[in-house]
Amino acid sequence: MKTMAKACLALAMLSTPLGAAQAATTVEFWHAMSGELADRVNELVDKFNKSQNDYAVRAVAKGTYDEVVNSMIAAYRAKQQPAIVQVNERGFLTMVNSGATLPVAELMAKEGYKINWGDFIAPIATYYTKDGAMMSMPFNASTPILFYNKDHFKAAGFDAPADTWKGLEEQLYAIKKKGVSKCAAVLPADWEWSYLENYSAIEDQPYATKRNGFDGYGAEYVFNKTKLVGHIEQVKKHLDDGLMELAGQGINPGQLFIAGQCSTVINSTAAHAAVEAGAKFQWSATFLPHEEGSTAKNSTIGGAALWTLKGKTEPEYKAVAAFYDYLGKTETQVWWHKATGYVPVTSAAYAAAKAEGYYKDKPTREIAVLQLMRGTPSDNSRGFRLGNSAQANIAIKEEIMAGLLGQKPVQKAMDMAVERGNQVLRQFEKVNAGKN
Amino acid sequence: MLARTDSVSGVSLGKALRLAGARRTSDRSGGVESGLKRSSFPNRGLAYLLLAPQLFILLLFFFIPSVRALIQAFQLSDPFGGGVQWVGFDNLVALWRSPPYWAAVRATIVFMVALSVATLGIALLLAFAANHILRGRGVYRTLLIIPYAIAPAISGIVWAFLFNPSVGPLAQVLHSLGVAWDPNRYPGHAMTLVVVASAWKQISYNFLFLFAALLATPPSIVEAAAVDGAGPVRRFFAIVLPMLTPTLFFLFVINVVYGLFETFPIIDATTRGGPAGATTTLVYKVYQDGFVSLDLGSSAAQSIILMALALALTFVQFRVVERRVQYEV
Repeated sequence: MKTMAKACLALAMLSTPLGAAQAATTVEFWHAMSGELADRVNELVDKFNKSQNDYAVRAVAKGTYDEVVNSMIAAYRAKQQPAIVQVNERGFLTMVNSGATLPVAELMAKEGYKINWGDFIAPIATYYTKDGAMMSMPFNASTPILFYNKDHFKAAGFDAPADTWKGLEEQLYAIKKKGVSKCAAVLPADWEWSYLENYSAIEDQPYATKRNGFDGYGAEYVFNKTKLVGHIEQVKKHLDDGLMELAGQGINPGQLFIAGQCSTVINSTAAHAAVEAGAKFQWSATFLPHEEGSTAKNSTIGGAALWTLKGKTEPEYKAVAAFYDYLGKTETQVWWHKATGYVPVTSAAYAAAKAEGYYKDKPTREIAVLQLMRGTPSDNSRGFRLGNSAQANIAIKEEIMAGLLGQKPVQKAMDMAVERGNQVLRQFEKVNAGKN
Repeated sequence: MLARTDSVSGVSLGKALRLAGARRTSDRSGGVESGLKRSSFPNRGLAYLLLAPQLFILLLFFFIPSVRALIQAFQLSDPFGGGVQWVGFDNLVALWRSPPYWAAVRATIVFMVALSVATLGIALLLAFAANHILRGRGVYRTLLIIPYAIAPAISGIVWAFLFNPSVGPLAQVLHSLGVAWDPNRYPGHAMTLVVVASAWKQISYNFLFLFAALLATPPSIVEAAAVDGAGPVRRFFAIVLPMLTPTLFFLFVINVVYGLFETFPIIDATTRGGPAGATTTLVYKVYQDGFVSLDLGSSAAQSIILMALALALTFVQFRVVERRVQYEV
């Protein structure tokens, strides 16, 4: 195994340009990006390696977010862990409580970099800050927005999607009735993020007690008693009436939109890269809908941050810090924002993109930023800090899906989802007792 | 666990090939078995030496992981290896009380029964047909064995694509026939899809054994029955089928073990256990709880239960197949 890793390393060194090959220290960076986004990560790392001669970062794609966490844990236990690992936002509490990570603020201070943490965009900073210190380096931050097929909307007699769920619903029915498209909407793969969590944030509805878990252990899911129940009933109606499709395994729901089959999809702003590359029709995007009569709050972030793992040598941490410093630079952020569709993580980068007139050409690229920074965040829209979120979501999605498919009443399905979600929270507290 | 299964099927595959080779040998199993039992090594050291590589592999990939799983089943552990708490039977009790676990048990039973019936039924039909073909028998045989050589993850993706309600060609055929096919929506459709995808692969294996067993049925008895006036259907049910029972029972056990353990990649590629957990079988749940949710204690407890099931099945197979279901000719 070890010789194999060495052989791979040797090969990688051979294939990189001379500058990188002479680097004193190489650190590994395990990530979960695939397709277009994986290419962008490789480009980013390449740029960093060429920008100086002392350090090199080697990006390794390890599959999906779940698979990255798995490989990382196995590697950590075998003391073969990478220095940098990309973990999605909902892994925050798991990573903080693991005792395996080095807070990024501490690392940067120790290595002598002065980072203006206050310049990070608030909803992103809040998510990754604990006890006043940034715990992980914000990397790819996104939020869901509504992509729509302009041709379909025009054919049905509309200029753009309505602002409210009720208005949008009428339009979707019209698209279906007029035979414009058989698939007016498609449920995204990560619908727990957009249809549950972000709906609750935008509508200012509590998702869990204790300020969605920000106040520490003991939080309980409460979404079975909020406006979310009515929203799920509405989604069920869309499924029942054939307005909405389920893409299923092996088919990316976003792909059905890009293929021109489905008229709308609520997807991460990071889908921009794929939509721009693939859509052969007039498309646009807009803010997520809200309920009639409610003032829409900010949406919450998705995406991931970079975590620094313990057990590495001092020179390796110097390399990590140099990479983070490079990442936080305004030019890097602007490039990353344009290349991928993710939002810039600092206000300076956002201002720079705006100043150069980027959003005049590409107005849809600004929606996510505007939506994230809309209004003053409330306790319900600040984000979520709930243990073992990946596990809880499997149970929550399974139960609510049973409700959506009519296997049980929606209210009952949501009660069950809350019950099973709470079991996961209690189990997490048991495993991580005393780390609150 | 997988090592166990493989070694069972490995041994039996050898047996099948011998059977196929010894076609029309009337004293098949008796002769082969006593021959095996008779052989012994005068030098015990050499025997152990020859066994060592296999035992080492079993130790590495079966015994050590099993013991660790057994220990972990009684622990609540931090996945990073930080803290470990002993919780006694908590993990098992939690499973007993967990409705999703019982839903997985039900899904597994439905899946395995449907899989066994479909696999054995179709394989028997194909074996019977291939046995009655005179020209190009070898070609048919080879073609029928090919699916076994295809990686399950790949076949799973292909099946998922073919039957995808939005883009799959076979789904379109079903739609045009008026079937509202949608495995993303209807649990029954999803279950059908995973059974079809899993059976498709396993039929080859079943076919191979049944074909070999059919070749080994003595034609003299069948001919004698024909002379006595029994029609082909009667000959099949009264003579050939009973003589196939040991093979059928063996295949049933193998199919159950296959359904229990080896269908993970197919389920992962076609339905991911959905919709709403409808195709989450016990082995898929082990993966989901252990590898996605990082609940190592519960996952270990579940694999212990599965291991107990596999041991029980293997025991039954050796007891019943080798002793009871035997029709000596």
